[in-house]
Amino acid sequence: MNSNADSSGVQGNSMPGLRPLERGTKLPAPKRVSVIGLGNVLMGDDGFGPLVVEMFRCKYECSSAVEILDLGTPGLDLTPYLYGTDLVVIADAVHADEKPGMLSIYCEADLLAHRAQLHLTAHDPGLQESLAHLRLTGEIPSELIIVGVVPESCDFGKGMSSSVLLVSSAAVDRIARLLVDRGVNCSRRHAAIQPNLWWFHGETEVCRTTISLAEVPTSDRPRSTLG
Amino acid sequence: MARITIDPVTRIEGHLRIDVEVDGGSVQKAWASCTMWRGIETILQGRDPREGWVFAQRFCGVCTTVHAMASVRAVEDALQLEIPANAQYIRNLILIGHALHDHIVHFYHLSALDWVDITTIPKADPARAASIADGLSNWPGNSHRELAAVQNKVNGLIGSGQLGIFSHGYWGHQAMRLSPEINLILFAHYLQALEFQRKACQVVGILGGKTPHIQNLAVGGVMNAINLNSLATMNMDRLGTLQSLFQEMIPFVQQAYFVDACLLAASYPEWFRYGRGVANYLAVPDLPVDAKATKFDLPGGVIMNGQLGTVRPVHDWHDEAIRAAVAEDVTHAWYLGEGAQQPWKGKTDPYYTDFRDDGKYTWVKAPRYDGAPMQVGPLSNILVGYAAGHPLTRKWTDTAFERISSINSLKVTPQAMQSTMGRYLARAIRSAMLSELALQHWQLLTNNILKGDDTTYNPPQFPQHEVVGVGMHEAPRGTLSHWVVIDKGVFSNYQAVVPTTWNASPRDQKGVPGPYESSLLANPVADPMKPLEVLRTVHSFDPCMACACHTLDATGREIAQVKVL
Repeated sequence: MNSNADSSGVQGNSMPGLRPLERGTKLPAPKRVSVIGLGNVLMGDDGFGPLVVEMFRCKYECSSAVEILDLGTPGLDLTPYLYGTDLVVIADAVHADEKPGMLSIYCEADLLAHRAQLHLTAHDPGLQESLAHLRLTGEIPSELIIVGVVPESCDFGKGMSSSVLLVSSAAVDRIARLLVDRGVNCSRRHAAIQPNLWWFHGETEVCRTTISLAEVPTSDRPRSTLG
Repeated sequence: MARITIDPVTRIEGHLRIDVEVDGGSVQKAWASCTMWRGIETILQGRDPREGWVFAQRFCGVCTTVHAMASVRAVEDALQLEIPANAQYIRNLILIGHALHDHIVHFYHLSALDWVDITTIPKADPARAASIADGLSNWPGNSHRELAAVQNKVNGLIGSGQLGIFSHGYWGHQAMRLSPEINLILFAHYLQALEFQRKACQVVGILGGKTPHIQNLAVGGVMNAINLNSLATMNMDRLGTLQSLFQEMIPFVQQAYFVDACLLAASYPEWFRYGRGVANYLAVPDLPVDAKATKFDLPGGVIMNGQLGTVRPVHDWHDEAIRAAVAEDVTHAWYLGEGAQQPWKGKTDPYYTDFRDDGKYTWVKAPRYDGAPMQVGPLSNILVGYAAGHPLTRKWTDTAFERISSINSLKVTPQAMQSTMGRYLARAIRSAMLSELALQHWQLLTNNILKGDDTTYNPPQFPQHEVVGVGMHEAPRGTLSHWVVIDKGVFSNYQAVVPTTWNASPRDQKGVPGPYESSLLANPVADPMKPLEVLRTVHSFDPCMACACHTLDATGREIAQVKVL
């Protein structure tokens, strides 16, 4: 289903750098798709990526072409997970000149042009180097999209800030739309699975409440900085 | 006298700053500083020891499994809990898969470009390169066609004028001396290594459930269900897949990586003269072959003062001497207090000053063994094993020495291994050993399962009184130990003494520098603006600062700066 979703009015299509979808044409669906969360769950807002992919896994059901991965902060060890994929969507904290909690969509060119800088933990150099290696071996993903949030605080063991928590649900839905727009089979589960957020220690209730509050329809609440 | 600051050192995991004073073309004084802090240990206090490993494996994004392993071993030690043989073998196979992956990435992707000048590759004759490579090894990835294709890619990269991530190398540096053909061979393997990095991840994924964060561990064993008649569990099919993956990786390790390390050593013989540093070596035994962990396939031991003939063996993880000897000194680290504390009593109270040459200058504590700094890592492994007459260590070390001498008649000895090049070579020797042990431990697991043993877990019991434990693991970067205090069923203290803390250690109360710092003394520096030689020695340790000194927020990452004052 959804592989011929009407692309009109979808914000992603008007963004520079993102692959344009021509109205009415049906592109072949990517064969290997990875939805990746990057960041350290023990370091406050840096845990955005892992949180988002876990929520995505619980809320949406995807075809077997899609792998959902919480990769933490892999540094150069990111390479094997990107190897030979067609479409990669990464959720991560991103440094940009915006206020904390701003959600934006970036493409690979934005990274190369330093318009966006992935949040600097141990994994900062990983993405660019991994892409460069894969380009040389011809195994580079055909399309790479980053769903990024500007972090408020990445202190160790302090938990996530509410500004970032509040947009995580919107980020989840955004990932689903990005996939659907590219012909990937991805639909909302009839009954959501309970997310395994083991790292939310002590603040579990607060977080769950915040996350479910954010669960209201959010079609375009987060404005893309590029849109 | 010039003072050079490299901040941060690139092509490592995490943040490291190196300061050296150079006079007459060589280093006179050195400081290693980790510029970031996070109190990883504090997050574990008050937690259930059964879930400690889940948090511990997030200490570092790169060395995930090693912290998980050390954490469960620490709790098992505190409870004196034995684990089933199957659990030992499954853990061992995960550790071997992870270590092979780590060593391959270090040699090619994190350090080869200190020695390989890719900008000379367009001048290489691929036919000649293929014939040189043929003379060294029967690795199938050395064909003329393969090498010509790699040369084309490099030509394209250089022709585009956009070297991208490769633009920051010290290309054309006088210390780069390999011929264009050898540069081409090594860079071809650099690209092929990416494929084998994937296979190693698959091994860890099959056994661990997920990778990079394994899911199958438990205090008391592993959670892998074994049932030869079930599709969903560990069965002959999965065992077969594992075996094939190892069989595919072994030729790359033995015929490409190992041979390349020998070739590099033969091509840069002077690097056996630099980088010796602290000549005290510590390794703990690993890869247990029985449930009780009384026998190991990697030996442990202690060597002091470079006396390679005298090794004090560490027979098992109960070794009392290690427990009594290890302490961490904070005199020159940004923590409150002075002097050394045993890890079970260790504290992590930050006290930041600025960088003071004679005062506090790093977030890394200074671990000491009976008051002495120790070098850890593959070199310690190899020296300890060689001194103890360990057959597998001797076999691959002697093979390496013979290969090097067949290339350029250079006679390498265990003494000469105490050097920058020795550390690179030791890592390759260790990898070759591990590649052989992979199939042996696969066989141990398979035999045990076929015998009808499907036990993987012994449930832990927590006493109400206080117990202490230490979990040891000989990780890719060296001896890792997690020190835990458990009281009323929760952690009351948790300290991780990690390999990079040993090696990147600052000076201690007596002013004695750590391994990085002393290895840099007398290191050559031809051009203070391009301190390539300093990087070679620092990279030889395979620094991973992410857990040694801990990451902190920083906005905007500058390309590494070299400042000369």
